[in-house]
Amino acid sequence: MTILATEGLTRRFPRVTALDQLTVTVGPGVTGLVGANGAGKSTLIKILLGLLEPSAGSAQVLGMDVTTHGAEIRRIVGYMPEHDCLPPDLSATEFTVHMAQMSGLPRTAARERAADVLRHVGLYEERYRAMGGYSTGMKQRVKLAQALVHDPRLVLLDEPTNGLDPQGRDEMLALIRKIGTEFGISVLVTSHLLGELERVCDHVIVIDGGRLLRSSSIAEFTQTTQTVTVEVEEGQEALAARLTELGETVTAHGRMLLVHVRAPETFDTLRDAVCELDLCLVRMEQGRQRIEDVFREPVNV
Amino acid sequence: MSEPTGVIHDIGYRHYDGVRLGRAHATLALALHSLRGVFGLGRTARAKIIPFLLAGVMMLPAVVSIAIMALIKQEAIGYTTYAVTMQAVLAIFLASQSPYTVAPDLRFRVLPLYLSRPVTLIDYVGAKLAAMVVAMFLLLAVPLTVLFVGELVIDLPGPAHTSAYLTSMAGAVAYAVLLSCLGVAIASFTPRRGLGVASVIAFYLLTSAVSTVVAATLESVNDYTAAAWAWMINPFFLVDAAVQVGLFGAAPSAPTTYPAGAGVAVAILLMLALIALSVTALVLRYRKAAAR
Repeated sequence: MTILATEGLTRRFPRVTALDQLTVTVGPGVTGLVGANGAGKSTLIKILLGLLEPSAGSAQVLGMDVTTHGAEIRRIVGYMPEHDCLPPDLSATEFTVHMAQMSGLPRTAARERAADVLRHVGLYEERYRAMGGYSTGMKQRVKLAQALVHDPRLVLLDEPTNGLDPQGRDEMLALIRKIGTEFGISVLVTSHLLGELERVCDHVIVIDGGRLLRSSSIAEFTQTTQTVTVEVEEGQEALAARLTELGETVTAHGRMLLVHVRAPETFDTLRDAVCELDLCLVRMEQGRQRIEDVFREPVNV
Repeated sequence: MSEPTGVIHDIGYRHYDGVRLGRAHATLALALHSLRGVFGLGRTARAKIIPFLLAGVMMLPAVVSIAIMALIKQEAIGYTTYAVTMQAVLAIFLASQSPYTVAPDLRFRVLPLYLSRPVTLIDYVGAKLAAMVVAMFLLLAVPLTVLFVGELVIDLPGPAHTSAYLTSMAGAVAYAVLLSCLGVAIASFTPRRGLGVASVIAFYLLTSAVSTVVAATLESVNDYTAAAWAWMINPFFLVDAAVQVGLFGAAPSAPTTYPAGAGVAVAILLMLALIALSVTALVLRYRKAAAR
């Protein structure tokens, strides 16, 4: 089943080409859309919502063409913008109820859905307070709630983790995962950070300068870049030497060692090597692939 | 062993499979939401002060008039002169409340959320205008209706002023439409509410001052025809001339007689042109805002 598909999608602005011959297909589940600022992510979302006409090519959302069925698409798609979009003098409840009505829900249904959705995104007593006094984390939750309130079949989330602290980021990512799995709503989520999306997405699309750089399932992504970062207090050279001796590929990266993971046993080898050399292990973490790494890699892998 | 009572069950996510209404429902919901907002309902207590204070002031002449009718059995304020007499209050209400309908959505960027839903840009603008028109109409029509009911209850000697009342109601519709279109269009050009309030009130003061000064100058040189046109620079006298006097033959509320015959047609066209101009400006403004 295809949730959305674009075919040679191009959008030119007077001075820049925001999207250039973009052809992608997205299935159900959580899909990440990664790209630097100005890569064309927001333009793509606007076209998918039928708010912007493509200059060339076509796009379909849930089997409907964006240029002819914009209103029908907007009825069953939710959108969470990147920027602030909350009037400060309304409470989260009132605002969410109003937005549900704007999506065509009758008043009583709108109230029920708003209460349900606000609970799901984790807003409780504070939802009766004016939103002007909310923290960034709470604002992001309301923005997400208004995108979900009409029970869409697809939600487009533009930079949902923007401005959140590490804990808020984790909670937001967990929520996005939950939407894709438990709620059964397909998600298209954009971000600058591939490492972040890696944790929640089934499929990742990387675009740069409006062009498709890569579109593959998350498994393929992580397979090619399995590294583990190791930091020890002293004796970095000794550890590197020991690991190379044991047949691991090690590269020094500042105060850290990047170890290529051949098989799960690599982790055991690493642990044993640190113990044998009696080193103080500061940190050991799974390599986070950042968007820059994808750009550095040859495209044909 | 007894079952625990009062447990909150996590019933998980429930899908919505009820009705989904169309654009018309959403537009109506938006208009109602805005109308409530204009009177400060669903907003903070502070937001209710100005609209309700002004609505109260609008009621005063009606109440006093009823008291006079009851006590000395004499008519006090005329129906068709009500709007012109109270023009400052209407203008302040328009200036203070019309920016509320448009400015916050632009300033806090709520507009993209509306546009990502089935309503179109035209629906949005229409709903906002409708809200302000209904608010202005209520502000004027409620005191007029109270006054009329008062007159009927007191039962003055002679026939009731039913036709004057109906003329003033038609006038109220015209006032509401013209003033709201002007006010909302002017306010929509700035996302800042304070600036919007200042622009609308400045527009009213300017037109009313210019019309008074020009008319007075022309009258001093005995050019009464031109002076009558000069009065109509003030939108309150324009509606009075076009609708209340022109269409329904009421007595003019301005200290002049308005142009008759073809003059009435010109006044009506002028009024319609102003409305059309405001709506066009508003739509263009929002086309630009939506493209951002």
